[in-house]
Amino acid sequence: MLMSASAYRELQANPYRPWPARITSIMDLTEHEKLFELRIIDNEVREAFKFDSGQFVELSIFGVGEAPISISSAPSKQGFIELCVRNAGDVTGALHRKQCGDVVGLRGPFGRGFPFSEMKGHDVLLVAGGLGIAPLKSLINHIHDDRHDFGKVTILYGARNPDEVLFRYQFDMWKHRDDFDLKLTVDEADDTWTDGVGRVTGLFEELDIDPSVTYGAICGPPVMYRYVIDEMREKKMDVDKIYVSFERRMKCGIGKCGHCGVGHQYACVDGPVFNYWEAMNLQEAI
Amino acid sequence: MFFRVMDKERVPELVSGLSESFELFGPVAKGEKFVLDRIEDPAELRLDFDTTLLPPKKLFFPPEDQMMRFRVADNEVLDDEVFAAPRMIFGLHPCDINALMLMDNVFTGDYEDPYYTARRASTMIVGVSCVPTESCFCNAWGTDEVHWGFDVFLTDIGDRYFVSVHSVKGAELLDQHVVTREITDEDTAAFQERTRAFKSSFTEELDTAQLPLLLDAKFDDKLWDELGERCLSCGACSMVCPTCYCFDVKDRLAADGKTGVRVRTWDSCQFSEFAEVAHGDNFRASRASRVKYRYYHKQWGYLSKFERVLCVGCGRCAKACLAGISPREVVKALEKGGEC
Repeated sequence: MLMSASAYRELQANPYRPWPARITSIMDLTEHEKLFELRIIDNEVREAFKFDSGQFVELSIFGVGEAPISISSAPSKQGFIELCVRNAGDVTGALHRKQCGDVVGLRGPFGRGFPFSEMKGHDVLLVAGGLGIAPLKSLINHIHDDRHDFGKVTILYGARNPDEVLFRYQFDMWKHRDDFDLKLTVDEADDTWTDGVGRVTGLFEELDIDPSVTYGAICGPPVMYRYVIDEMREKKMDVDKIYVSFERRMKCGIGKCGHCGVGHQYACVDGPVFNYWEAMNLQEAI
Repeated sequence: MFFRVMDKERVPELVSGLSESFELFGPVAKGEKFVLDRIEDPAELRLDFDTTLLPPKKLFFPPEDQMMRFRVADNEVLDDEVFAAPRMIFGLHPCDINALMLMDNVFTGDYEDPYYTARRASTMIVGVSCVPTESCFCNAWGTDEVHWGFDVFLTDIGDRYFVSVHSVKGAELLDQHVVTREITDEDTAAFQERTRAFKSSFTEELDTAQLPLLLDAKFDDKLWDELGERCLSCGACSMVCPTCYCFDVKDRLAADGKTGVRVRTWDSCQFSEFAEVAHGDNFRASRASRVKYRYYHKQWGYLSKFERVLCVGCGRCAKACLAGISPREVVKALEKGGEC
């Protein structure tokens, strides 16, 4: 059961006040990205912190500020969350300088995630580009933990070059499993690369999917959505079974500060996950 | 609601009585304009004001507001208490009272904003009727009338006020500080007559038919490019707007770098970096897209959630705009086509 706004209020009357959370693990993923494991220090709050894949937290480092980060770990794993963070701004830069054991602040979980229970019983086609794998990783691992509830699971993941492929340790293992159809591609390969070369949309050609039973989920850089959606529509997938996750400047996370407006909605409370029918009807979305 | 009648000449004694129990705010003259300010002397209060330069939002959602004090070393909040003294605003027009109720929708809801709501709860409101000016278009949105959202409302009916009493606290304060009398049929007739005269004194009836749909249908209209050419992205429209609530959050460190305060400041969707994300993508990089978004959100985004438009027709933004952009003209151009 998701942590509702009223449950949140019972634990914390001030929704702007972050909960102290300890960094319990840091893993270097690439030159610019690290994976942080965080545990909320307060026992009651940590146990109440139930989220959906696709939801995000506001990471708070006092003296620097806050940044919205999507949760990368699966809801099926409780007691901690993982955040895959690129060193791209003041807050994420400060996080990258933190050590294991340091305390940071967390607010959340916020927003609307992927409709996991609706997706159950169906095939899924998950498409990620670059850092867009961060929120999808949560969904992928959640599906993994409930694998028997899903049909065919296809994952397409594109990165600029082999050095920028995130979670390679896991994907390298999964390539040998027959219950996941995992396809990786990079724009520019090097001598070590044995997977695909080219855009992630190039992987659609050889795909064999049954559109009547397939849910799609997409997350990547803004330019990617249009092309991937075109491919999914080409495969006759339904507009309301394709889900997209948008990155916007979600500053407060609770629908007040106005920064994450997308069309007539706010990404922080109405999204960041929308189905394509909703997104089609949102100005400035795709 | 019940009603009383109060002679106009009794206002000073009421105000001076109230100032003993409240931090009292109201419209006062500043040069040729009016501002909402502390009332120290009842004689300063100017109930004949047109519009205050800044709207009452500044008293609930200040231009800069401390959210919490923190300690850097262990990332701990030292305090996040909200201090809200008992206050009263004496003299708000219907547009501004309606504007506060529109702001309430944003700052309450699922995640209640403790800073705004604490000040709202500690502030009483006495409304006063107005005379439409050239720039007023509250009649377009129905915000020329207000039926709740105040403790007491004074409607000018000549030498006396027709007093609408909404809250128990308002009734008690009237009892305590001023002599009022029961209304007569003559008073009610004067009240109705005044309302009719008021309604007919607006300079125009703005056509707002299907405005939210038009905003979608004309999303790519060249009107927005023209407005983008003129707009200076100064954000003045947002600052003076009684319903613009967007904010930025900043951490300010003390001189020793060990503690600091997290503050929020007024922000504007007209500023170039408003919709920029960490990797540099800016979802509204052009001025045209930002001007459009202000209208789109006010007339459609907010409406899609709360069934009201996020504008009360006070005309402050049109007066503040150095490029002469007026919402009334923008709405007309959307409805009828052409330039504005």
